[in-house]
Amino acid sequence: MATFLRHYGSLIGMAAIVLFFWIALPDTFMTLRNWLNISQQLSMLVVVAVTMTVVMVMGDFDLSVGAMASLSGVVAAVLFTYDLPVAVALAAALTVGLLGGLANGVLVSLVGILPFVATLATLTMFSGAAFLVSGGKTIFGRDIPQGFADFARFGLPIGSWDGKPVLLPALTLLAAAVTFLVWVVLEHTTYGRRLYAIGGNAEAARLAGVNVAYLRLSAFAFTGVGAALAGIMYASRVASANPVQGDGLMLTAIAAVFLGMTVTRDGQPNVLATVAGVVTLGVMDNGLTQLQVDSYVRQVLVGAIILVAVSISALGRRALRRH
Amino acid sequence: MKADGAALAAPMHPAMPELRLSGLVKSFGPARALDGAALSLRGGEVHALMGENGAGKSTLIRILAGLDSADRGEVTLDGAPLRLGTPALAKAAGFRFLHQELHVVPALSVAENMHLTRPYPQRMGLVRWSALRRAAAMALDRLGASHIDARARMGSLGPGDQMLVRIAATLLEDGVAPWAYVMDEPTAALTGTESARLFRAIETLKSAGAAVLYVSHRMDEVMRLADRITVLRDGAYVATRTRAETTRDEIIRDMTGRSLSDLFPARTSAAGPAVLAARDLRASGLGPIDLTLHEGEILGIAGLSGSGRGTLLRALMGAVPRIGALNLRGNPLAATPAAVWAQGMAYVPPERRTEGVMPRRALAETVALPHLSRLSRWGFFRRRAAARLVRDLARDVRLKATGPDQPVSELSGGNQQKVLFARALAGDPAVLLLHEPTRGVDVGAKFDIYTLIRARAAKGTAVIVVSSDLPELIGLADRIAILNAGRITRTLPTDGLTEAALLSACYQKED
Repeated sequence: MATFLRHYGSLIGMAAIVLFFWIALPDTFMTLRNWLNISQQLSMLVVVAVTMTVVMVMGDFDLSVGAMASLSGVVAAVLFTYDLPVAVALAAALTVGLLGGLANGVLVSLVGILPFVATLATLTMFSGAAFLVSGGKTIFGRDIPQGFADFARFGLPIGSWDGKPVLLPALTLLAAAVTFLVWVVLEHTTYGRRLYAIGGNAEAARLAGVNVAYLRLSAFAFTGVGAALAGIMYASRVASANPVQGDGLMLTAIAAVFLGMTVTRDGQPNVLATVAGVVTLGVMDNGLTQLQVDSYVRQVLVGAIILVAVSISALGRRALRRH
Repeated sequence: MKADGAALAAPMHPAMPELRLSGLVKSFGPARALDGAALSLRGGEVHALMGENGAGKSTLIRILAGLDSADRGEVTLDGAPLRLGTPALAKAAGFRFLHQELHVVPALSVAENMHLTRPYPQRMGLVRWSALRRAAAMALDRLGASHIDARARMGSLGPGDQMLVRIAATLLEDGVAPWAYVMDEPTAALTGTESARLFRAIETLKSAGAAVLYVSHRMDEVMRLADRITVLRDGAYVATRTRAETTRDEIIRDMTGRSLSDLFPARTSAAGPAVLAARDLRASGLGPIDLTLHEGEILGIAGLSGSGRGTLLRALMGAVPRIGALNLRGNPLAATPAAVWAQGMAYVPPERRTEGVMPRRALAETVALPHLSRLSRWGFFRRRAAARLVRDLARDVRLKATGPDQPVSELSGGNQQKVLFARALAGDPAVLLLHEPTRGVDVGAKFDIYTLIRARAAKGTAVIVVSSDLPELIGLADRIAILNAGRITRTLPTDGLTEAALLSACYQKED
């Protein structure tokens, strides 16, 4: 029984949540339109959480991703105001993400600062930089090129419903592509296997010929670029950028990875499990909003669900160890 | 017991209690861990408990500790039935357990660690630090461990001294005085000097009337320390022997049904051309060292702890900074572990759990790790090729596991070591570096590992073995280089070499 709960408890819980909303909202919840809507709402979070998984498989984590998403959004928007081509502005924003991630990587792997401390410090710096770059203001309206804002509204037509075309949102496609890329990298390349090895036992990995310092550095760069991409996606979706709009992504992303870890057999991070974690959180948010549950109550409920899932997983693992 | 000198100096148990276990049966599901195990433990003796992995030693200890209950069987203390079954009852019966991993608080002082389970001496609600230190220092002194400063931070101590602190702490306890100490492979992580100190402490406990149940695979320690030896096999009692009236051979036969002379397979190798040459090799605390290793040769490295044995292997692997002219099969040897593995040198580190395996991950991942580049195409990992390789190797090393996906932590010590051997052999290495290849491994797995090493040497692989187990070095190596203070002082052929001669060579400076 303990083994069963340990392996499938979280999945059953996730299915139960979906079932609950299906019954509570018979007309609106289990519709294609609603799920496409959820997928678009979650696309930024998926990108952040999935790239966060890259550092979390090494046993590290990155607190600066939310601030980096905000920073990259305003960097792109400010460059738009100088009438630079969209591609140049986006490349610059992604470069900021790369450099920020490299900075995290250098601090963690070469200087040897704990990830918690190093990325807490860079979180503060990125956040401050976002205010400096934007002058503390929201950039919106005519400063944002139409083509950039339209991207978030584009979609791939996949049929029609009630006479209106149904579109698979571009942001969803982008998030799926990032997920696929990270999944391939982590599960099917030697690079990913070595990251898992570092998480398994860093010293043993070093003695077995893994270049631990270089891999940790590059993994943080990966996460930084992911955060920057999420910031750009966010700016496109709301057709504006302000210096705090990505900040909330960080805690939710970490929560999603932890929630995902409760699904995996060995209790370790894994890309698909992370996506399951994001979807669970997103479905709850969507369903509770439709049920018109107060947003503060919603926060309490989401936190409680995370605690329950992680507790069940911890108790299950302890029961397993006893046998 | 008050923490003052007079009480501490008194013998713990003048009455010499006797604990008897008989007919113990314990099943876990369909598996029978104990099937008629027995043991008699008296105050004032060191009693070794021996047996291969899976013989039931751990289960017996868990029953003593109250972590498991026996299905059947009798436990008596001085003839009266003794109720166990919870850790509190075991403690009240006077048992104390020293596990391989000690639970200590590294950030607190030695004295505070010794007071963790009892009230600190206080005056008006404030800790009397001087009394706390005095009590701790006195207990350490009594154990012959006065070299430990009671004010030192626990984390600054080595594992041996931490163990001594833990033993000394039991001397400070109130209530029922502990009289039986159970030590499970206590020297597994200790250096020679640390072990010697532990042995002195054990003698002190014994002369104060306490009993020590000593669980170890290390025959030389057992033959040196134990008064009596009880052997279990397949969960059943085999024999209890008095040390003075038995031999290693008899004990090994009790444990395995096999004789000691069969343990080391016959030498078959004739040394070929040179594969590895080191000129003027230096690293921190090591060198200068000149060394030549030939195809098919097994070179043993002996030396006291701190002589640089481990550093030598790590330097060869490029795991520590080094200088000197190093040559592998005519090519200069690379300077990072990654490149050295790729050049055909493999390494089995001494600390299996911290330096070797990834405990919670599938065993196949530990095996494949240094060979990932070879097992991939365009950077993509070929899972199926890796699984095939791991399965073949697992058969070669006679690994007992459910499959390539089993987490390493679920395997016994001997099988974890075989995982590391499988990994080292995976690339058909030209040179195999082994550090304590059979530490904490049972006799059966030992035999498998010796056979593997010999078979590889016969195929032309050159081997360097570093080991503190002198009979192992003599039985396995073709010649033995003695390291002292980072230099090779002598090289001895193993033909006709005795343990005593080897040990005295280790203690000699240059000749």
